[in-house]
Amino acid sequence: MDYATSLYLTGAEIGLSISGLVLLLVSAWGGARVTRLVTILAAAALFGAAIFTGHLFTELSVPAAGDAFGGLYRADDFSSFAKILIYLAVIACLMITPKYLAANGIYRSEYPILLLFGAVGMSMMVSAVDLITLYIGLELSSLSSYVLASFARDDVRSSEAGLKYFILGALASGILLYGMSLIYGFAGTTDYAAIRLAFIGGIETGALFGIVFVLAGLAFKIAAVPFHMWTPDVYEGAPTPVTAFFASAPKVAAVAILMRIALEPFADHVDSWRQIVVFAALASIVVGALGAIGQDSLKRLLAYSSINNVGFILIGLATATQLGTSAMMTYLVIYVVMTLGSFTALLMLRAEDGRPFETFSDIAGLATRKPAIAWCLLLLMFSLAGIPPLFGFWAKFVVFRAAVEADLIALAAIGIAASVIGAFYYLKFVKVMFFDEAEGSVVKTSPIGQWIVLILAGIIVSPLGYFLNGLLDAWSSDAAASLFYLV
Amino acid sequence: MVDLSQYLPILLFLFIALGLSVAFVFLPMGVSRLTGAHQPTAEKLSEYECGFPAFEDSRGQFDVRFYLVAILFIVFDLEAAFLFPWAVSLDLTGWAGWTTMMIFLAELAVGLAYAWKVGALEWE
Amino acid sequence: MTLQVVAFYLFASIVIASAVMVILARNPVHSVLWLILAFFNAAGLMVLLHAEFIAMLVVIVYVGAVAVLFLFVVMMLDIDFASLRAGFVKNFPLGIAVALVLLAELVLGIGAYRAGALNLGAAEGTAAPIPMTSNIESLGAVLYSEYLFLFEAAGIVLLVAMIGAIVLTHRDLRSPRAHQDIGKQVRRNPDEATIMTQPAVGKGVDL
Repeated sequence: MDYATSLYLTGAEIGLSISGLVLLLVSAWGGARVTRLVTILAAAALFGAAIFTGHLFTELSVPAAGDAFGGLYRADDFSSFAKILIYLAVIACLMITPKYLAANGIYRSEYPILLLFGAVGMSMMVSAVDLITLYIGLELSSLSSYVLASFARDDVRSSEAGLKYFILGALASGILLYGMSLIYGFAGTTDYAAIRLAFIGGIETGALFGIVFVLAGLAFKIAAVPFHMWTPDVYEGAPTPVTAFFASAPKVAAVAILMRIALEPFADHVDSWRQIVVFAALASIVVGALGAIGQDSLKRLLAYSSINNVGFILIGLATATQLGTSAMMTYLVIYVVMTLGSFTALLMLRAEDGRPFETFSDIAGLATRKPAIAWCLLLLMFSLAGIPPLFGFWAKFVVFRAAVEADLIALAAIGIAASVIGAFYYLKFVKVMFFDEAEGSVVKTSPIGQWIVLILAGIIVSPLGYFLNGLLDAWSSDAAASLFYLV
Repeated sequence: MVDLSQYLPILLFLFIALGLSVAFVFLPMGVSRLTGAHQPTAEKLSEYECGFPAFEDSRGQFDVRFYLVAILFIVFDLEAAFLFPWAVSLDLTGWAGWTTMMIFLAELAVGLAYAWKVGALEWE
Repeated sequence: MTLQVVAFYLFASIVIASAVMVILARNPVHSVLWLILAFFNAAGLMVLLHAEFIAMLVVIVYVGAVAVLFLFVVMMLDIDFASLRAGFVKNFPLGIAVALVLLAELVLGIGAYRAGALNLGAAEGTAAPIPMTSNIESLGAVLYSEYLFLFEAAGIVLLVAMIGAIVLTHRDLRSPRAHQDIGKQVRRNPDEATIMTQPAVGKGVDL
């Protein structure tokens, strides 16, 4: 084994781990004084990792050239793309967090450290070309997520969210592990390429069960219907910045491993998993759209919105084509921007007494009280609804185009119909903000970090985002091409 | 493959221990049953607390800090368990294996230093 | 050979008996103790299978740490176990249904076993055991060379578990009242611990 190459390719993870360890010691000795410093250094470490990954992204011209540690880990364009997205999303989460946690008296330096280790786990997940790497990365990111969900440990709802997330997440891990053990039993290996070779002549029923279990376990992690029931409770209970994190980075990682596992080891058996993905996609779109309608809590509404979006992403997977995969990457980028933007806006809305805004009645008439946030939310909501001039429309458009080209016209048609239902509650958001009577409480000023994230998100989802299109398309198709390199 | 006969002394020890412990527990019980008077009534068998029925469950609630201690113990216990295969296979893994374990130990040493410094190892 | 058979039946019957007792014991603490007995005998079964490392892990990790954690959790939770059992009759039909499902699985499993061997993948390459070594040595040989990257990642997972436990349960109790500084107590000398005063008659002492 060539250790030098391996260490070079895994540089981002190693760098992040070392900074995590160092920051842990800094926080232990510095106490509460260094919390802010630790947060800034963690963001800097993530930024460095993103730069390094970007360097790999441009340098690795041959997609499969980057196998590390004897084929446990692969640094290709796909993983680099997903990793950069994950790192940037975590940096945004670090930027919007401090004021919220400080206001609740729970701003501790363990928060950025846990996010850092979570990022290590997520980047291992997206680079995994072996079932064991996948599992360890998944556990690392899940374990830090469980702790983050109940970070406000004196708040009953936060503790409950952490507990629910932990129990259901552990169940999902168990299901996933069971599926992996079946696949290992029938293939005799955990390596993706070798699994593909082992099943080249056809797939055993037992191994088929394995695939189903693995897909079910991963569906849990990306909150696709019918494994979505934890999402609204956990998203509502967890502290809002943590919810923003859950809805962005881990979702990118989980979708990425789902793509890799479906399209690398089981690329020859698309028919055996396509039905499941199609069902999960349609069910997520419909349940996400219908479930949101009756919600009064804004966080629950955004939770259903994320379920809905996962459905659209899965349409891309159902195509099992390079175009569909590239569409998924594009969708993921735009989804992360929209999600982070909407949660940041939610985070900025607080009453004079510090109480966060949680329901529709709180944001009534927001346009007169806090016009800047209201207009940004308007852009984000229209974009989530997929209304044409905004960038969210482009995300849906590329996915549907891929579905139509792969002859999944019925799937695309149902998806489009359901997205019209989904538009209802996004429009309700806008209607309440702009046309309802304003109520008493006044909004406090917000810290600069939150403004930066919100305004950036607003600019990207606005029609100005189409200027990014050329780059985004090129990168997405590079990333997708590396998944299909062996075909 | 391992020759299982090396475990024979342990098995014999288990048999003897089992036999002796059974004898020590049940022999006195049987002897006293056969020689003494044995007339249980409901009153004799009920629990006794100063003439009153028991106020509460005898199970008291533990402090959550025991849990923290137990988790830390599990982590370091696992660390120790990983040392065994490392030690016996060192001639096969060489310097790479040695370095691996040292890094692993360093990771957990950082954890120990952190736990120590924040006072997780202190009781009061 | 016969000794192995005797040992197998001894361990297997104690595992099953103590597993039944885990469920039947009225006191949850007794359940945990029965569980420990089950773990010990499972370790014995693992030795019979030549899986010595797993036997060691079961004893060190499960008996030594996990069972203790279970005991703590049982003691920590303020649950009235008598009231938990109260719904037994009400939930009886559901229990029977679950039992039937499990029975069906058992029958299917035996049927599958009778149907002949499955076409399983052969362990090859890195996953194959090294000949002429104990399995603990083969395991070490792959864990600390092929899989060293994942081994380090597992170390980080353990570290995150530690941080998580501390973040969620540790409270800084070093308030002046609760914290005892033994060094300070030992360093105390009469000069700073006592004061000499000479109060006038009828004046009292100023403290």
